[in-house]
Amino acid sequence: MKSKKLLLVLAMAAIAVTFSFSVQAEEGVTDTEIHVGQWGPQTGPAAPWGSVARGTDALFKMINAEGGIHGRKIVHHMFDDAYNPAMTKAGVKQLQESTGMFAWVVGVGTAPGLSVMDYLMEKKIPWVGPASGSQHWITPPQKYLFAVYPLYNLEAKALVRYGVNRLMKKKVAIIYQNDDYGKNGLQGANEELGQYGMKLVAEVPVEVKDTDMKPHVMRLKKSGADLVLLWVSPTHAVRIVGTAKAMNYETQFVSTSTCSDFPLMYKISKGLWKGVIAAAFGELPDADHYLMNKYKNDAYAKFAAKDERWGTFYYAGMLFAEPFVEALKRCGRDLTREKLVKELEGLNNFRGIGGSITYKPFDPKDPSCRQGMREVFLIECLDDGKIKKLTDWMQIE
Amino acid sequence: MIDFFQMVVSGIAVGSSYALMGLAMVMIYKTSEVVNFAQGEMALLSVFVTFLMLDQYRLPFHIAFPAALLFSVFLGAFLEFAVLRRATEANVLGRIIITIGMEMVLIGIVSWKFGADPKTMPFPISPYDSAEIGSVYISTLELLSLLIALSLMISLFLFLKFSRLGMAMKATQQNRTAARLMGIPTNRILMITWGISAFIGCVAGLLIAPVTMQPYMMWDPMLKGFAAAVMGGMTSLPGAIFGAYILGITENLFGGYVSIEFKSVVAFVIIVIVLCIKPSGLFARHYVKKV
Repeated sequence: MKSKKLLLVLAMAAIAVTFSFSVQAEEGVTDTEIHVGQWGPQTGPAAPWGSVARGTDALFKMINAEGGIHGRKIVHHMFDDAYNPAMTKAGVKQLQESTGMFAWVVGVGTAPGLSVMDYLMEKKIPWVGPASGSQHWITPPQKYLFAVYPLYNLEAKALVRYGVNRLMKKKVAIIYQNDDYGKNGLQGANEELGQYGMKLVAEVPVEVKDTDMKPHVMRLKKSGADLVLLWVSPTHAVRIVGTAKAMNYETQFVSTSTCSDFPLMYKISKGLWKGVIAAAFGELPDADHYLMNKYKNDAYAKFAAKDERWGTFYYAGMLFAEPFVEALKRCGRDLTREKLVKELEGLNNFRGIGGSITYKPFDPKDPSCRQGMREVFLIECLDDGKIKKLTDWMQIE
Repeated sequence: MIDFFQMVVSGIAVGSSYALMGLAMVMIYKTSEVVNFAQGEMALLSVFVTFLMLDQYRLPFHIAFPAALLFSVFLGAFLEFAVLRRATEANVLGRIIITIGMEMVLIGIVSWKFGADPKTMPFPISPYDSAEIGSVYISTLELLSLLIALSLMISLFLFLKFSRLGMAMKATQQNRTAARLMGIPTNRILMITWGISAFIGCVAGLLIAPVTMQPYMMWDPMLKGFAAAVMGGMTSLPGAIFGAYILGITENLFGGYVSIEFKSVVAFVIIVIVLCIKPSGLFARHYVKKV
């Protein structure tokens, strides 16, 4: 009888001990490792943006090679979702519920991100730096979601402001991808033009599947626009600029940061990208900048695949993850999700290779508390895809 | 009015690539009743091989292009011989699934070997120059595509009508058992059909690639070509061509006058309407099997 009681006590003690350990240790964090997840298209039509995830991966490998963060290595779990929200959701759930991620970083695309946002937020899992400038991340703001990418409508405002004030353009039009990404640009352009008492002379939507751009360009040409905002994918942008050339339509094209990889754009447009102005939110690829040099030499040169290009998307993958890394460092050895959130909220004018990043303590009524970057600068494409900086950082509210 | 003509001309221009893809699909469908969903990707691989020859090995155009076309013929013949012919027990549906599988494998090979970044094919003429007829623009590349497509269609027509091989192909299409009894090596004919079909697809691909090329570039032309072929009756070569140009023009007019958002969808709406009114397509003769 006595031994039975003893056994029971021992068993209860064992359960209590196990239970207390599982409560104390944060999910995805061990003595030597921090598990971090990320999705990104490595196949499918959006695969050119896949280099974002590979960039983040190289950054984490560099950090690990330098000893990790407070004695812990970052274990980066990235998977290919082919830009398909159903695959994103399946992949995130699988990794979260089998291995257990401490947090999620970057993740390309508005639609894939939206498919997992609610899931991550309900489970109170931090997600830092979605690679998309959608307003969904911050309206309404979420306690555990920290946006880095400047909003697309902000880029549109900056481009319109420059076009109207500096280039003295009178007729502004937009050609936009008919989805959330494109409509954000449309909204920004409309708002900014409203301030000058102007209106868009043409709004031309493009479906992702469209390949023939003649009807679209014809509309632009008919409107007589002398400034055209391109809010489309890189391949569509090239087709539009090419079709305009073939139809003898001359105008100033300006574009979102999505098409700001000038060496690539110049090459695939066979030189037509020259003269195009784009928004940018990160240092230029050949910038002589301390961190850019470090990333290029210690992350890219050592850990990138052989034929990987040091392109805008690639190092953007590092840029988006910088606030996360900084907050991890500030957390110290005692790492929890709540502490990570607190340290992220403490970032004030933090600057890596992008614009300055500031968050504020969580306020459900203030979207800006979770929008890190609020500034862009404008660049122009020169011969051979070389880049000319047109403006300094432009802060836009 | 100029707008209207511009839209019609643009429609004809874009119709050429649909027509070529449609022709290629009809060729295979007629002989084997298989809708070949790998058609676009067969062309894709040939196009990227051309890119490799031009960009990396710096071969001149007059070698690279014929070599690519030859490669496409072998690729088509090889796929028929190595994959399709092995599926002896498979029904038509099964074989269609096999082509979807081949499509995925081919696109996988291209993505793996060449990466996902968009590229452009070096080409003898610029895709961005244009000819101006009145006030209507047509790019020189599109003009070239139109000419090539038309001459290819005429040669194909003459080939099928007058050459011995063409006759043998037609015989195989109409009744394979009877053809075999007449001493026609039907297996070889099938293989040749796949080769020719891949050749036509490759021409379409080579004419699309100078603008942009990435692993998914052939999907849309293939679907539109398929749509055109279905509209024309799937077994009729002139039907596919006619369907393709109608499709190109309607798309452009619809985009210009009705709604640009639904421009791409219009192809499939037309198919539904045509199939409701004339279930076997506009040009196909309706066969009734006698028991």
